[in-house]
Amino acid sequence: MTAALAGTSVLTTSMPWFSIFNNPAAAGSGPSDRVRVGVIGVGSRGRTLLLNLQELSESLNVEIAAVCDTWEDHYQRAIELTEGKAEAFYDYREMIDQVELDAVVIATPLHEHAHQTVDCLNAGLHVFCEKAMARHLDEVKDMYDAHKDSGNILLVGHQRLFNPVYLQAMEKIERGDIGPITMLRGWWHRNTAWVFYDDTGGRGTDLDRLRNWRFYDDYSAGMLTELGSHHFQVANWVLGNQPISVMGSGSINHFDDGREVYDNFALVFKYPKDIHFSYDCITSNRHNGMQVQVLGNDGTIELESNMWFEEFPDDPPSIEDLILSMMEQENEDIPIGGATWIPDGPIRLGGKYLSPEYTMNDTLLYLEGFINFIRKGEAPQKLTDEGYHASIWTLLAEEATKTGQEVFLPEDYII
Amino acid sequence: MNTRFHIIIPGIDDESGDRLFGAVKQEVNRIENKLSRFIPDSDVAMLNKKAANESVRADDEFFEIINACRFCWDITEGAFDPTLRPLMEYWKNRSEVDEADEKLISIKDNIGMEKVQIDSESKTIKFDSDGLEIDLGGFGKGYALEKVKYILEDASVKSAFISFGESSILALGEHPAGGSWKIGMNDYLNPGQSLHRFYVNGGSVSTSSNFFVSDNGRLKNHRHVIDPKIGQPVERCCSVSVSAESPVLAEMLSTAFLVSSDEVIYEVMNQYDHLEVIKVDYESGQGIVTEFEQKEADPMVQEDN
Repeated sequence: MTAALAGTSVLTTSMPWFSIFNNPAAAGSGPSDRVRVGVIGVGSRGRTLLLNLQELSESLNVEIAAVCDTWEDHYQRAIELTEGKAEAFYDYREMIDQVELDAVVIATPLHEHAHQTVDCLNAGLHVFCEKAMARHLDEVKDMYDAHKDSGNILLVGHQRLFNPVYLQAMEKIERGDIGPITMLRGWWHRNTAWVFYDDTGGRGTDLDRLRNWRFYDDYSAGMLTELGSHHFQVANWVLGNQPISVMGSGSINHFDDGREVYDNFALVFKYPKDIHFSYDCITSNRHNGMQVQVLGNDGTIELESNMWFEEFPDDPPSIEDLILSMMEQENEDIPIGGATWIPDGPIRLGGKYLSPEYTMNDTLLYLEGFINFIRKGEAPQKLTDEGYHASIWTLLAEEATKTGQEVFLPEDYII
Repeated sequence: MNTRFHIIIPGIDDESGDRLFGAVKQEVNRIENKLSRFIPDSDVAMLNKKAANESVRADDEFFEIINACRFCWDITEGAFDPTLRPLMEYWKNRSEVDEADEKLISIKDNIGMEKVQIDSESKTIKFDSDGLEIDLGGFGKGYALEKVKYILEDASVKSAFISFGESSILALGEHPAGGSWKIGMNDYLNPGQSLHRFYVNGGSVSTSSNFFVSDNGRLKNHRHVIDPKIGQPVERCCSVSVSAESPVLAEMLSTAFLVSSDEVIYEVMNQYDHLEVIKVDYESGQGIVTEFEQKEADPMVQEDN
């Protein structure tokens, strides 16, 4: 599966973590070589992560040794999914005290990430935590510091970091195929009330705050942390830098049902070299779907649709001759007609596919990387830093929308 | 449509050019979404999916398209037949001919434009057999050019050159240097040389061939051209180019004439003014051109001369 990823030059620069697939850690098949993982939070995302880990269990000798969820349904579901083989807990502290683990995967509501991650790292465990990292800036920094102080791995679930399409795109960008980058544009547009659970008694009830936590300011920054952070990470990564500042605005203009988080927002990030990244999110119109465009002087890359477009593709010689004949006012016989021209490879609306491997499961690849890093005892620092910067700038973007100010990175959070 | 599209409008200002190009692109995409059998919810795909079991209601445009195909099938005595796709699939990976193969016989029994029932009152289409499929590959590019022509004429464009993958060309008005557009037919065995030239003034040239060209310069017999009379692919490497005022007529006739007898070609030519046809046979190692001339002198043409 990972053969397609091997041998590209960006492995050593933009995506050093990919080299783990060319040089995986030796995995013995005995019980003593087994990587033992606990899963904290088995909601919608946690379930996906758990299922992906199970796919790796034989090939990488991984065991889901423990599961944890405070919600009874999910607690029971976790037991079922692991066929009772994993020890089940309601409290993650008991889990990490009682079960011998190498690592945890955390997929709980955003406001729970920080203390769980810090506790696990300090308990000597490696951590894969879903994005975004935390609800508040100082918590993000605490997580990062705990990772540095403990020496344990901390990875954040921006799975595009392990997407083959992005790998191909980064290679193209670095090779200069689209020329100098002059702008980034991104958006995530959906038409949905975004209600995960509708049997909670409505907005504002205790149950709703617990289940539909994404709607409440105490627990989440809404689409900023839950959706946008993916693309903020991508922008940092493509530009090889974090922003200089962010400006923005947000509001609730359609789903005014008592939720506390925006149903639409628009942001402008300023980057070094005078490059801007404009990003917007809306939940009341899905026409535009989801996209990140990298605009260069010679081409455009559409990361989410696996496409690149040349700005000025070469014309066939006969067309060039015809244009020349018009400019020189010479009406000549030009051999311009004949059998149908067909492209050498697949093509779509003037663009070309970045990677033929676009159906690959990047979550699975990321977890595969995580397990290998655990065996080696360390992960590339750049990978953790990507997660850190994306999380910090997500929260700074929130601040920008709330204050109406241009927001810069406070010194305390420079790493 | 898996090819490239060029549009050249001499002397147009930037803003009008951008707007026109946007309109043309949108229209071509719209047509592709309607006529491509590769797009799951296109009109053609839906028809192919349902019409063997039920009468399918077509919108006005799609109904006219199917009617036009039927008309061309009629005047070319069956040479233009958009139902031959199952035979193309059959011959795709086969070189030996076994006339008695039951599968081949069954396919032949189940295709043919005569098995497409068109009801003008209810504007519905129904297939008489299960194995039938409509493929508008020999129609779509010409149709798109026809629509592009309206857009350009509406915008008062006096002169323009449009090439759809080189095989479907529309030339509006005159060449900016004056006179008809001199549209050369590329000689694939001597690339860059014209085998023949058409003088076009507000008209089109369409080429059908049983090979494609790509940037590597090689000719590939795609075995897409089936002779409906014998139900087998045309093996001789050849092409037909038709010049006509209407791009969609040129497209359909070039598709048909690749498998038509000379008699049928002459018969059709005598029904239309300003129709020019050439056949090019590459089999001998050089492109041999046969020009078909309208047998009965056309008074219009004589006046022009």
